[in-house]
Amino acid sequence: MKNFFRKVAFGIGPNENVPSDPLQWAKEQLNDVPQFSWKGKKIYTEKELRKFYGEYIYGDRKILRKKYKDDKHAYKIEKDKLRHKTGQKYWQNLELCIRHTEALKSKTPVHAKLWYFWGNHFAISDKDFLARYSTGAYQRETIRANMNQNFEKMVYEGTVAWAMIHHLDNQENIGPKSESAKEEWRRREKEPATINENHARELLELHTVSPNSGYTQEDIVQLAYIMTGWRPIRDKKKLETANIFFSRKHHQPGKKVVMGKKYKSGKKSLSVVIRDLVNHPSCRNFIATKLCRYLITDYPTKDMIVPIVKAWEKSDGFLPEIHKAAVEVAFNYSDKYQKFQNPENWLLQMSKMCDINLIPGTKLMESYELGYKPSGYQRSLERLLKELGHHPYLVKQPNGWSDYSEDWMSPELMIRRLIFAKQGYFKMKPSNQNNGFYEKMIRKNFDNPNEILKFLKKKNQPEDRHILLFNLPEALKA
Amino acid sequence: MKISRRNFLKGSVTTLFLAGFNLPVYSNSKKKNLVVIMLRGGMDGLCAVPVIGDKDFEKRRKNLILDKTIKLNSDFALHPRLTNFHKLWKKEMGTIIHATNIPYTQRSHFDGQNLMETGGRVPYEIKTGWLGRTMKLAKLQGDGLALSLPMPLLLRGVPKNDNYYPAKGIMPRKEILEILRSVYLDKSEEELLNMMEIIKQRSTISSEYESRDNSALALKAGQELNKLEGPRVAVFEIDGFDTHAAQGGIDGSHSDCLIDMDKIFLNLEKGLGKELNNTLIVTLTEFGRTIKQNSGLGTEHGYGSAIFMGGGLLKKSQVFTDWPGLKRKQLFEQRDLNSTIDSRSIYASAMSTVFEVDFERIRKEVFWAEDLKNYSDKLFKT
Repeated sequence: MKNFFRKVAFGIGPNENVPSDPLQWAKEQLNDVPQFSWKGKKIYTEKELRKFYGEYIYGDRKILRKKYKDDKHAYKIEKDKLRHKTGQKYWQNLELCIRHTEALKSKTPVHAKLWYFWGNHFAISDKDFLARYSTGAYQRETIRANMNQNFEKMVYEGTVAWAMIHHLDNQENIGPKSESAKEEWRRREKEPATINENHARELLELHTVSPNSGYTQEDIVQLAYIMTGWRPIRDKKKLETANIFFSRKHHQPGKKVVMGKKYKSGKKSLSVVIRDLVNHPSCRNFIATKLCRYLITDYPTKDMIVPIVKAWEKSDGFLPEIHKAAVEVAFNYSDKYQKFQNPENWLLQMSKMCDINLIPGTKLMESYELGYKPSGYQRSLERLLKELGHHPYLVKQPNGWSDYSEDWMSPELMIRRLIFAKQGYFKMKPSNQNNGFYEKMIRKNFDNPNEILKFLKKKNQPEDRHILLFNLPEALKA
Repeated sequence: MKISRRNFLKGSVTTLFLAGFNLPVYSNSKKKNLVVIMLRGGMDGLCAVPVIGDKDFEKRRKNLILDKTIKLNSDFALHPRLTNFHKLWKKEMGTIIHATNIPYTQRSHFDGQNLMETGGRVPYEIKTGWLGRTMKLAKLQGDGLALSLPMPLLLRGVPKNDNYYPAKGIMPRKEILEILRSVYLDKSEEELLNMMEIIKQRSTISSEYESRDNSALALKAGQELNKLEGPRVAVFEIDGFDTHAAQGGIDGSHSDCLIDMDKIFLNLEKGLGKELNNTLIVTLTEFGRTIKQNSGLGTEHGYGSAIFMGGGLLKKSQVFTDWPGLKRKQLFEQRDLNSTIDSRSIYASAMSTVFEVDFERIRKEVFWAEDLKNYSDKLFKT
């Protein structure tokens, strides 16, 4: 049962009591979207951060590249200055502080663990400079802010989010019969208007119904037609970082048919088609399976999936109800199934249980000034996650980081766990580096404390005990 | 649907696992190695292997024409900084495929790099790599080595690949590793046990800091490939070929990346020793670059590029190409070097040679029976 606290969250910290009703404890965290626990003075909006991104892109592309065309060294120096002027190496670190504070310091770690799930489900992969300016804020404003809404709303807002449109090229998705297709410059520049299916395909495959629904290539094309026109407003200074709007000029006219249903031309069809997609039975099954895979086991059984699907149907896709059903299933299977934890969750669990000082403080983070390179301390989370091989904003593909254990099994990734377990020990408070602390912590967080304690007792060095503990199958899994 | 790892383990005999999976697949023939170097960002084939005496070329990139290039034949020269590749060339161990690319023409790095690794035609449609799929076909399990922390998509499709990318930090003592190994064994944690067996063999990382520089990784990879029981496949990554500005001439930013590649050739050779004779090294990129220089003295995303190949499995040194020409009407969309050879044909031929798998099987089972040509007898010792 104690395993459950790590399964749906990050374990119980030394200053916390073990909840007497674990399931109730978990469910209570899921009704609403809590305030952020990060106590910094300012949490920047995605729009503010995107403005810095825009300044970087414009400054590099329109100014520096021309000015320093003959001098690669000067170009590099000036580009670095522009990076710092726009905070390029700072923002993601601030975002990671906000993200990890939810896991370690908030009263709602279960909510945090599910937030990470959805951020990864609607992944923004490491393209251009998205991770450095925009992805963290997108995960706050588009994903987390909608965790007390229907799934449909999360899908819609994710679909028209600037980061998603940019990352899946929907600005290149232009109706071949649209007004824009007939523009004279296209003939002159030999740039015919064509659709770009990327975003439409991922909306079907990754975000909603999955290939199990049996959609065809023609369905992808038709959905792409519906999505034509959703792009940044034309803006000479902001370039591709301008706000998203629906451009009728780029929209493919005429009716479209996706999976047997007809849709009209125009802006509204996107919300209509999304409503149909999220109400498709494959969508519920797909999401329920993914939640079980994330929380419980690589290969969820039907018995695990069914209660979540039922909760979905009963609540019309209301996310708090879906989440509650998922944690209840996790609770019921807590003793029987242990899930291999991805590196970030493993790191956070160790940090929480041992009260490791992982997150740079607000003072340190806010001492950063634009124009300067952030210090190594200010960049510690970014470096740590990169080194662990699991930086949440630097996923390579739109399908996000894998939820399958096998994808986290490589010698180098396991070496990182050995090394960071060791480093974790030295980041603990000295007053906690004793047997009494470990015994309490193990009794709070593991279902077989006596076995673990007996095993660790044989080892003399406290540091060794720590490394062994966090590389035991019991700690690598939850 | 791919067979999952777990199902595979269930279906296989337990003793296979205990033997460490490195079964001698070709017990009667020599161990042959394949190394793939991924050149991310779009490698400029015309910078690396310029065409000689083409007025259209010289006119369009006036400021980027290189001095002192190394003449390879009457038509093509080599970038003067590729000295190590040139040494291989002189030993009949260097081949260049020119005017080649994957069949992708949209000029997005993101999509292009996905396709260069999956070998498909639609970005993100395929979730495994052409190399991984072919290794599976050749039953080369536990034979891949990635010189990077994340497992590259290129190698996905076959389980139990190894990777090497030295950590920044100090490993626990050997004794601790041994204790964990015995715990994993007791608890039947097969995957963890398998990882720990590999980790335990890496004695040096526990005591000293090792470089992540591609040169150092290449030396290490060469030494591993050199071992009879070592990996047969290695995958490298070089970033930074996307030179939109200050691409420069001999000392420009594109050259820096090419030099990085050239050092991999050098150090692989050092590590491999004589086994270079049984090795094939190939490069892979998402697209080439525009012929025309831009106003920032860089180049934009293009189409046709080139492949570098090195090693003793090559038939001879040659520039292998069906040259499309650089006159405006000969260019792809009137701007880029065209691709007249589907680079997947080259990779399929290379894998057929190195892995000793019938080309037709690779074409059908790895590349969905696409129209690929077998160039094995023209390029490789068979």
